[in-house]
Amino acid sequence: MSSASQPINQLPKPSILERLVQRHSKLAIALVVVFIIIFVYGMVTAPNFLTLFNLKTIIRDAALVGIMAIGLTFVTLSGNFFLLSMKETAALCIIAFATGMASGWGFELSFLFTMVFALLAGISQGALIGIGGNPIVVTLGAAGVLYGLGAYWSDNLVVSYRRPHGAEWLGTGSFLGLPNITVAFILIAISAELLLRKTSFGRQVYLIGANRAAGRATGHENFWMAIKVCTIASVCSAFVAIAFSAQVSSAQVNYFSSEFGSSGDMTIMVIATVMVGGNSIMGGFGSTLRSSFGAIFISTVDNMMVLHGFNSGPRVFAVGLMIVFSIIVFAILRRGSRSEE
Amino acid sequence: MTVEKIISFIKQKPDLMFAFMLAFFVYCIFAFTNDYFMTHRTSFAIMERFAVLGLVGLALTLCIIAGEIDLSIGSNAALAAVIVVRFTDSLGAPTALLIAVTVSTIIGLIQGYFIAYLRIRAIVLTVGTLMLLRGISLFVAEEKTVMLTDFRIPDFITTKVLWYFSPASLTVIAMFVLVALFMNFTKYGREIYAIGGARKEALAAGISLKRPMIIVFAISGFCAGLGGVIIGLRSGTAQALGLQYLLLAGTVAAFIGGVSILGGRGGVIGAVIGALTVNFLNTGLVFNVTPAFMVQLYLGILLLVVIMFQTGSVIFEKRQRRYQILKDIDDRRERLKKEMTGGAQP
Repeated sequence: MSSASQPINQLPKPSILERLVQRHSKLAIALVVVFIIIFVYGMVTAPNFLTLFNLKTIIRDAALVGIMAIGLTFVTLSGNFFLLSMKETAALCIIAFATGMASGWGFELSFLFTMVFALLAGISQGALIGIGGNPIVVTLGAAGVLYGLGAYWSDNLVVSYRRPHGAEWLGTGSFLGLPNITVAFILIAISAELLLRKTSFGRQVYLIGANRAAGRATGHENFWMAIKVCTIASVCSAFVAIAFSAQVSSAQVNYFSSEFGSSGDMTIMVIATVMVGGNSIMGGFGSTLRSSFGAIFISTVDNMMVLHGFNSGPRVFAVGLMIVFSIIVFAILRRGSRSEE
Repeated sequence: MTVEKIISFIKQKPDLMFAFMLAFFVYCIFAFTNDYFMTHRTSFAIMERFAVLGLVGLALTLCIIAGEIDLSIGSNAALAAVIVVRFTDSLGAPTALLIAVTVSTIIGLIQGYFIAYLRIRAIVLTVGTLMLLRGISLFVAEEKTVMLTDFRIPDFITTKVLWYFSPASLTVIAMFVLVALFMNFTKYGREIYAIGGARKEALAAGISLKRPMIIVFAISGFCAGLGGVIIGLRSGTAQALGLQYLLLAGTVAAFIGGVSILGGRGGVIGAVIGALTVNFLNTGLVFNVTPAFMVQLYLGILLLVVIMFQTGSVIFEKRQRRYQILKDIDDRRERLKKEMTGGAQP
């Protein structure tokens, strides 16, 4: 049969590769390719990289930042940029939790006590953002207030409590060989993705993020949305604070500041995770799954650099480079696809 | 005559008057509660603090006037401090100072170029550079606290000149005067106001986004670098992860000075008053033996209060304007009705 007599609607089927390029954004594919290249490179060169233990370590390292990033993704998707007060919310919550545990209230009561503070922080910031305050400036001020409150409450001292305290299962326990915090990360990632994809709340987040005027016209004001998403972000920070405190059986306000962790400031790490995952900062495009993979990606790179024996300077530099690189790539790829605000 | 002039000035610039009253109020509180606050020595200390915070406040004021915000200012200052302290011993203070300030200015310039070229929000890029610059500073400092060995330079920088001033604060005051002249009397300065207040209109009128954006971020980088250099040389030490508090303090200073988050409003005089207010608060709290974290708490509350006032006034203005438009439409309808009925009768 000659090709001229072939009807138009029976064109040859595109190959799998072509379909992949058509269906997904090029960037997602580029990200996956970069991930695979680095993964392969690390597999070949880094000692002890490709062991099951190391893979578990990577996901475990990603878990704390990842959970916070999932919370922050809701804020970013709804078009409210990001919160600069993530680590300060966690700082206040970790003090609240440790104070509860040190007074012998038990895990459940301390957990609820902490969540009250998380809700208060989230609702107040969300309300201030919702009535029209700029998210960056509001949360910059709120960061100072929350950190100051935490420091004032604990007198800037370490609050510690003794084992056994009934929270070890969250901090150091494991389930089927996986640490419980990793299990929590996976469960939170799945449920957040379902919340975004399958519920009307999730679709409203996308609507308000993509087009605020259309959202207002259809009766979805940013006021309530800002309160909801900020509360989700705060609750996620509080959960991370509780998990971290349960692990080390103590608390201090500067646990999440630059002295802690491998790559500097926790808030900036969380924002980096959201950006490296490829979520649009202007809102309306992205998903929590992207943030989860962003966390694992950053954690993998960090892990490989540690195995290669780099100091903290090059590692912080690498994370910064990843953020700037992803910003530039995304800006070039999405040029013209979204109107500027 | 003069009274009328003053009243008209107040009516023109309510933000500035509010800032001035706030500064005076804060000064009075500490002057009454602490015996040592209203002395020559304290004024010298306040001016010394002003040298750094004023610069950062000025940088953020310019950025917010242009409708953007530079989050990487603390990192930039820390990098400059680390460079100047690291290289003063080997190269001499003037060369090290020049290198540090040049590096900071070039970093600002590159940021401005990318923001204009990619048409992205500054907050997005500066979060990335915040981390990048911390990495570079850690690298330059070799992950240690760098220190000076020769302490003649810190002594020179903090010499008293004319009761209240030191070489550092005199340099900063000169910088303020230059920036004020630049913003008010040159074409480039007015362009910065234009892209902040009404970006779409400015672009439609033929102003390129690149030039003002690069100028703003270059000045911002220069101010951050100079501030970092002053801190580094004055204390003789520098940490790669330090100076994080500058962002909050500088933002508070800028917002007290009357800038609007929507851009296009505010000025250098406001930045001076804002920075002085924050300095009064800071110095006064230190005099009353308040721990450092409480200062952060007060600054946070101050920022939230100021931003809420501003948001409230914006909402009020918007509502007022909508009411005015509706009233105009009603009036016109009434007039039309009258004309039609009036024309039908005869």
